[in-house]
Amino acid sequence: MAQNKAEIMQKNAAPAIKSLTGPILIFLLGVFFFVLAGRLDENPVEGQLGAFFWPRAILILLMFSCGFKVLESFKGFGKGVADTGLEAPPTQANMGKLVAMIVMLLAAVVSMEMIGFPLCNFLFLLLFMRIAGLKKKVHLLVISVLGTILLLYIFVKIVYLPLPKGQWFFTDFTIFLYRVLHII
Amino acid sequence: MLDQLALLGMGLGNLFDPLNFSMILVGLTVGVLAGALPGITMLNAIVLVLPFTYLMGIVPSLLLMTSVYCGGVFGGSITGILFNIPGDPMNVPTTWEGFQLNKKGFVSKALGMAIMCSAIGGFMSALIMTVASPPFAKVALSFSSSEYFAVVFLGLASVVVIGTRSIGSALISLFIGLFLATIGMDDIYGVPRFTFGSRIMETGINFTTALIGIFAIGEVLEQLSQKNKEGVIERFRPKTTLPRFGEIWALRYTILRGLGIGTVIGAIPGTGATVASFVSYGVEKQVSKHPEKFGTGVWEGLAASETSINGSVGGAMIPLLTLGIPGSGATAVMMGAFLLHGIQPGPLLFNKSPEAVYTIFVGMLVCNLIMILAGLITAKFFSELMRVPENILSAFIISFCLLGAFALRNDMTDVWFMAIFGIAGYLMRRYDLPSPPLILGLILGPLAEKYFLTTMIGCGNDWTIFFCRPVSGSLMIISIGLLLMPFLRGLLKKGKKEMAVP
Repeated sequence: MAQNKAEIMQKNAAPAIKSLTGPILIFLLGVFFFVLAGRLDENPVEGQLGAFFWPRAILILLMFSCGFKVLESFKGFGKGVADTGLEAPPTQANMGKLVAMIVMLLAAVVSMEMIGFPLCNFLFLLLFMRIAGLKKKVHLLVISVLGTILLLYIFVKIVYLPLPKGQWFFTDFTIFLYRVLHII
Repeated sequence: MLDQLALLGMGLGNLFDPLNFSMILVGLTVGVLAGALPGITMLNAIVLVLPFTYLMGIVPSLLLMTSVYCGGVFGGSITGILFNIPGDPMNVPTTWEGFQLNKKGFVSKALGMAIMCSAIGGFMSALIMTVASPPFAKVALSFSSSEYFAVVFLGLASVVVIGTRSIGSALISLFIGLFLATIGMDDIYGVPRFTFGSRIMETGINFTTALIGIFAIGEVLEQLSQKNKEGVIERFRPKTTLPRFGEIWALRYTILRGLGIGTVIGAIPGTGATVASFVSYGVEKQVSKHPEKFGTGVWEGLAASETSINGSVGGAMIPLLTLGIPGSGATAVMMGAFLLHGIQPGPLLFNKSPEAVYTIFVGMLVCNLIMILAGLITAKFFSELMRVPENILSAFIISFCLLGAFALRNDMTDVWFMAIFGIAGYLMRRYDLPSPPLILGLILGPLAEKYFLTTMIGCGNDWTIFFCRPVSGSLMIISIGLLLMPFLRGLLKKGKKEMAVP
């Protein structure tokens, strides 16, 4: 029985340590912001709780929750995986694809204001669909072009959303495109 | 009573006017579509149709806006069930269960159940609104900031019942959300908090960006990054199947609870459908015989959420019509429509413009019946999108998310936050940190802080006020009970196990 428990604890050690990393990091961040809040609250209103009472109370509760999570992990340490609250190993992720998609997403946000929404969206659709697995070049081009035009009609012509037009010569390009498509 | 019936008859007669009836149809369609698209919320749709009402009379104007309201609160559940993208924060609990039901292969019935529960909730609450407006309004008027805080606290306490696998993780996620909600300019004292000197950060984090990022982007990243997964997946075309009477009857208590919670919370100014939806879901989970199944695709969770959302619509109209106090953001815009036509909502409205009021009552009743048809048509339209290969659909989902985030305030900051929350949403899924409590904290955090601090300022920092007033005291005790329930259940289980061992 004791040997069984030791075996279970050994098996659970790695996932338990992994599950503790998050709460500990969050706890440390909580401490950082709590100290920061104390320094920012330079002129508290007399007789009132002040602007930083609520965030500091929340941060204290957050730190307690991290401690509670650590206790939960230790409590389940000697039990089977099903009782620990530790998730079964998640499905394997294709890291290359994941990183590429995240980079594409961030690049789209960065470039939207620089090159304008129409060009940004066209390039994003083209490259994202390619990363996601669509291989035929004709399909990629046609879907990207038609999709961008459809989105422009819906959001610029009908909803009147002032989408970013871009900077430098991209502004002129975007306006030219809107005129060609009779959006403006 | 006879007078009321006569006025209702007059209202029904007004509905057969072609302009009035067409306003209901147009409003429903616009509302459902707007509610379904993340970033283009029901509230935006009501604001967009307001200018069109300048040229109309008061009756068609209000019918148009109430139809947009009714359709809009339902619309977000369609994309929530089909794509795990709630159209509005109020549709988050529906998404939790609806999308899981979709994964299990019950998408047709899930859509049908959402439509029927919405229609039942909306219809019944409109009936309650018609009959019980004055007494409801008196109760709502007696609420002060301590009662409002207690209602919001009840909503926050429901997070514990959401955290199935780990209460610690659910609490961490909730408090992260509550903390993020404090970033920006403080509402009470006007002090910038955690802005690091950035003017952009002073506007704070809009919870819709977190919603779109965590649910939509997080889901796309999760799905497409799975190893050994083909990029092109055979897509099917789901139909919408309305539930049979027996299936609705089996959920009658759930629907009644959702209706009651939705109507009461909707009638309290400043709360609205979002709070109603979360509270109803949380309560349903607590009373369920199998609470551990919530989050895996449970009909009761879907029904509770949808009924309460549409139930809150009738509730929100009560203080608007009887007291001139809007019960929600949408009814605040509708108040603008009243004033535009020179009508002051309030106690005298029933005397001065009874025809208009009762036409609105009948209009809402009819609207919720027609919503079944509008819901079926719109669900079919969105269901067609399910045939599109995943790699194409995902790219467009992200494009829509970028547009939706930008549309909130026409500011790239929101787009940045959405992207960051999207990546965070993926990481939260990978490391078993539940995202719904974070969203809940972001949505309800500002309300909780405002009502708490207002109460403290008014009562000289005496926190016992929350327990001394009957309504807030009762709600606080219920909330604390909800928080302690999982631990008490665990102790009870342990006790039973020990007693069973000889």
